[in-house]
Formats: sequence, C-alpha cells, structure tokens
Amino acid sequence: MNRRDAIERITLMLGGVLAAPLMAGAMGEKLNFGPSVNFTPDQEALLAEVADVIIPTTGTPGAKAAGVEKFITRVVRDCYQLDEQKKFYDGLARLNKDSTDTYGKGFAALDAAQKTEIVKRSTTADKPFFVQMKGLTVTGYFTSEIGATKALDYLPIPGRFDGSWPMPKGQKSWAI
Amino acid sequence: MANLNIDAVKDMSYDAIIIGSGVSGGWAAKELTAKGLKVLMLEKGKNLEHVTGYENALKAPWETEYNGRLTVKQKETHPFLSRDYPYNEMTEKYWMNDSDAPYEEKKRFDWFRPNIVGGKSIMWGRQSYRWSDLDFEGNLKDGIAVDWPIRYKDIAPWYSYVEKHVGISGEKLGLPQLPDSEFLPPMDMYFVEKEVRKRLEKQFPGRTMTIGRVANLSQPTKIQLEGGRSPCQYRNKCSLGCPYGAYFSTQSSTLPPAVKTGLLTLRPDSVVREIVYDPKTSKATGVKVTDAVTMEQREYMAKIIFVCASTIGSTLVLMNSTSDRFPNGLGNDSGELGHNLMDHHFRTGASGTWEGDLDKYYFGRRANGIYVPRYQNIGNDKRDYIRGFGYQGGGGRQGWQRNVAELSFGADFKEELTTPGNWTMGFGGFGETLPYHENHMYLNKAKKDKWGMPTVVFDADLRENEHKMRKDMMNDAAEMLEKSGLKNVKTHDNGSYLGMAIHEMGTARMGRDPKTSVLNGNNQLHAVKNVFVTDGASMTSASCVNPSLTYMAMTARAVDFAVKESKKKNL
Repeated sequence: MNRRDAIERITLMLGGVLAAPLMAGAMGEKLNFGPSVNFTPDQEALLAEVADVIIPTTGTPGAKAAGVEKFITRVVRDCYQLDEQKKFYDGLARLNKDSTDTYGKGFAALDAAQKTEIVKRSTTADKPFFVQMKGLTVTGYFTSEIGATKALDYLPIPGRFDGSWPMPKGQKSWAI
Repeated sequence: MANLNIDAVKDMSYDAIIIGSGVSGGWAAKELTAKGLKVLMLEKGKNLEHVTGYENALKAPWETEYNGRLTVKQKETHPFLSRDYPYNEMTEKYWMNDSDAPYEEKKRFDWFRPNIVGGKSIMWGRQSYRWSDLDFEGNLKDGIAVDWPIRYKDIAPWYSYVEKHVGISGEKLGLPQLPDSEFLPPMDMYFVEKEVRKRLEKQFPGRTMTIGRVANLSQPTKIQLEGGRSPCQYRNKCSLGCPYGAYFSTQSSTLPPAVKTGLLTLRPDSVVREIVYDPKTSKATGVKVTDAVTMEQREYMAKIIFVCASTIGSTLVLMNSTSDRFPNGLGNDSGELGHNLMDHHFRTGASGTWEGDLDKYYFGRRANGIYVPRYQNIGNDKRDYIRGFGYQGGGGRQGWQRNVAELSFGADFKEELTTPGNWTMGFGGFGETLPYHENHMYLNKAKKDKWGMPTVVFDADLRENEHKMRKDMMNDAAEMLEKSGLKNVKTHDNGSYLGMAIHEMGTARMGRDPKTSVLNGNNQLHAVKNVFVTDGASMTSASCVNPSLTYMAMTARAVDFAVKESKKKNL
C-alpha cells in the first residue's frame, strides 16, 4: 500500500472527518530537517509550464493560470529537507535538458505536443520526479482559488447534510 | 506566604481550585460555580477566546500556506506531535511545543498535549457514547485488575444530566452494551452506509450499524440556543474551533454559564507544579503555580481541589506532590499511581468500493462517521480474547484527492478528478486495552522541563489480548463489508501505539480498596478527602467506547458529592 492509499484509507476510517486541506497536507511528500535551496525565477516559470501540462486549461483555467508554481516553490522550500529540495530541482533540470537535447530548445519554448511528449517521457525516464511534481500540482491546483471554485464546486458553508443527494447534471467533485 | 498581607491572602483563596480547563475541568467549573462556590480554574496553556480565537476556522484552502503540511521547522520543534495528523499547519497554535517539555519513551507513546484554554475539548473527535455494565462489571467478571467501585446505575442519571446540556445527536437503539443518550436528532447516513446497514443487519444477526453519536448540535434545544450556540453548518472543520459554537467545547458549552455566575476566575498560563498537603488536617491546602510566561511563582489556597489536567497531566501533578506523608506522590498509598496506563488500540480494519448508484451524491460535509457497537464476547459470540471492539468509519464518494492511474496527466486526467468517483465504505476498529499494572508512566526528576516540572517517562505497550483482538478487528471488517456488497475490499493494519487514539486512561484508578486503588467511587483520593480526580486518569478499565462523555458525567457526579460532603463538614 503506498502512502496515498494509506492516507485515503485513514480518512475513510475517520468517516471523512479529516478535512480535505488537512488530507492534502497529510498526503505531502516526506518531510525532514534542513535549510532551503534558492530557486530562480526561471525555475519557477518552468514549474508553471510543466504543471500546466499536467493540469491544462480546458473548459476551465489550468495550473499556470491558478499560480500553482507559487505553491510548489513554497512547499518545497519550507517543507522539504535540503537533499529532497535538491533532488526535486535536479529533476526539473533533467526534464529541461531532455527538452533541449531532443528539440534544441528549452521546455517553455516547445509547442503543446512537444511538451506533452517530454512530460510523457519523464513518467518512465524519471518517475520519482514526475510523481512528486504531479502530486504537488494536483494539490496546488485543486486547492487554489481557481481550481477549487472553477474546476470543482466550492461550498464553504453547506448548512445541512444529505447523504443521498440526487446529483444535478454537470455536478463537479466538491472542492472540500 | 508570610510576606503577603491579609487582602492578598484573600485574593489567593478560593472555595475550589480546578487544575485544567478541558472537558473535565470545564464541567467542574460549570457545576461548582452553579452551586455557589468561588472557583479558580488554572490552565497551563494560553488563553483562547471563543470564536475570535479560532483564526483558521474560516480560511479557504487557498488562504493557507502549505495546505496543512508541516514545515521542516515544525518537525524540528515538535518531534513527538509531528508523527501524526492532529498536529498540522492549521492546528499549530493549539498544541504544546514539544521542545518546551520533551518526554521519554521506553516504548513509544504519542502524548498529545494541548496548549490552550479548553484543552482537547477544542480538537476532540466529539464521538460521545455511554459506557455500560459490560464495562463496569468487566474486571470483576474476568478477575483482572480491580473491580470498578461504580455500576451503570450510579452514573446513568449523570449521563442524562450532562447530555441535555452538551447536545448529542444520535439514534436510539435500545442496546444494553451501548445505552442510549438523551439525543438530538441523528445526522443522515450516506447512501452507501444505508445500503451496507441493511445487508449487515440481515447477514449478521446481533450486529448493527448506526450513525455516530456526536456532540454536534443537529438541532439545538432552546437552552443551547439561549447559551449562544448554533446548529452545525456541516463544514467539517471542527478541530479548528467552531465559530458557530455548534459542537461541545469548554468555550462553547461549560465556560459561558460558569462565567455568568461571576464566581469563576480563569487563569491561563498557569503551570500547577504541585498540590500542597497539610499533615495536621490530612487535607490539601492549595496548589503551587509557576506562571508559564513570567516564571513567577505563586500559591493559591482552596478547600476543594479538582484535578482535571488530563490523564497524564493529572498524574504528573500528583506524582510531583510529595511530602513526608506521601513520599511517592499525593494519595499514592497503594503504589498504583502511574500504573494501569491504557488507550484504545485502532488503525486496523478494511475498506472497499460500491459499484453504481453514481446518480446520487452528498450535500454538505458531515463531521461524523458511523458506529458498529461491540458484539464480540456478548451472548453466543465467543472469542479467543476477553473484551472487544467497536467500529468507527463511514462511507463517501471519492473526490479529487483519489488515486487514479499513477502516470496519467493532461486534460482527461483533469476531467476525471473533477468528476465524483465511486462510493466507498470503510470500518476501523477501536479495541479495549486491558489495565496492565506493568503499563506505566513515571517521572525522571533529574530532567526538568521549561517550567521546572520533571520529565514524564512512558513504558507501556499492547500485549497478547490486544494483538489477538486486532486480527478480528481487521478480518471481521472485511467479512462484513464483503457480505454487505462492497467490492475490492482491502484490509489494513497500520499499527497502533499507545496514546495515538488520544483516549489515554488510567494511572490514578478508582477502586473499592485503598490498598489497590488511588481514588474511591466518587473520584476522591482515598487518603486526601478534599482532592478529586475526574478525568481519564480515574478510569479503572478502558472499555472500547470513547471516554469523554463518561468524564463529563463523572465530573458532574463528583462535584455534587464534593459539595454535599463539604456542607456536611466532611472535607
């Protein structure tokens, strides 16, 4: 059982008592001790590009529009041990290098099909980075204001509970 | 005290002192002031104002920094608390800084120490159940530990009394092993839970599943509304503090009536170091306190002392209260102080998915689960261990957090997560841990915390009876879910360390004989008649049932006894 499964199960055990944001927190990567590495504006911009391939703009805005890269750099800076931080940014650099080696230009400059190809390759060539990046992107996006209110249905104060609610057409997952 | 003038002594003197402001302390304050006593409530943690103090309660997910994640810094300062989910970004301010008072583990013990007025009544799980004679007669029938000095009939009226004030929502079942409370209307079950219940009750005669009995106001009574409380808004953010006062906490429920009497003085930031004993009268005269912020030392005096500092906290104060008469801790003639440490063991069970019925969803976030009352070792159901377990758990529909194909990404992946997934359902057992003398806490007096208190050392573990029980907790869950129509049922046992359930009990047990117990049937120290311990420390066995409601009832009962005794000049 992986960590995500375990957390989902624990949440289930508690009858959903663990609030969604807390659950997202519990599902965070391994946390440890240590100072932080500096990241550049270029790295942050690159994170936005990769995140936007994982969660693109469709009928609703995607990860870049939601500013997911800010969440990712903040979590990596404050919640990751130094060597984990380095590993993460090394993974990002490898992805960009793959882009340069393959297409002769950085990831940000690729067209949509090329970006998808590079990310797809990372799922096998650099799975640990991909899984980590995907996890951060998903949490960052669906808990952002855009993700929670546009891609999902956000209802801060329901006021009542109905466990067999007839689902309206087009109903999205609840944000929290 | 020699340098104090008369007025100052008067300011330092009360009819009663309460150590702690949590579930038990809050009840002691409400009851003692209602009976006209001038009361001082001392809380080790900082003040937490009702409503305005709950800073994170109304935050949207995007208004948090890390979505609940712990930072590297928090892990560093909170090496014990950061091992489990209750301590996180959102609840940081409610818990004590481990670094201020590290403890020692001969065996791992998860000690959740709050740092606020209200104690764990702010972050508690709110599951509220009566215990029964299955629990109170258990030790006698099994010939273990010591007999409880009370029976269900002794405490039943006090359950009713506190329930009418607290507000417990739930469903009447008429079960002898889980007596009904004075209920507010039950919360609704999820669709999948209703389906499972029907099948479970048919397939397994003698077993049932009900909605959790929870201290949230489904429909407040006139008294509760007049007390400033509102109905539950189904936000499921209870552990952050409720701005609606919709669940029971000291702040929402017991503090307002106590304050209203004008008889309560509440002092946060007050670390009680010891209870002062006077050998001439054989009574306690007061407490010694260190101000948590200024480190200033004070002494307060009172005729009655209620120790409600939580299971470990209360016993720590008693153990640290030594004198010629009580060299091993106040009231510790039996040598049982610190022993018989218990908690519920849990984190094992099963879960599965329900196929179909995707045209139904849920509305609102129910801060409650379901409950399967204990059925083992009842009637013809015999097991290879004594006592038993109940299940907590529940259903729901998967949301965006669910695990879909690990390597998928892009538009289809996004679309999938924005659409509700399958209905799911799970059971997690909560099992009774026996009161073993060997399971104990003691003090390392050579090592002091920030306020000069000795370090607590834990040496307690689960044993054979619990390990056997855990197998059934896992396998029965899977069997019931499978026979109730769930698919893809998976079992789990994530291991359970004592303390993790935050149902720690024992260490100053009640009993009939002063030679083998610390407290009598009125939560009164056998040897020091004006000192009462009414929190988890007093418990003689652990049951498998959540304990907080029982602390409330026992506290109200003990206050009634104490005040009557005081009037008879017996204290």
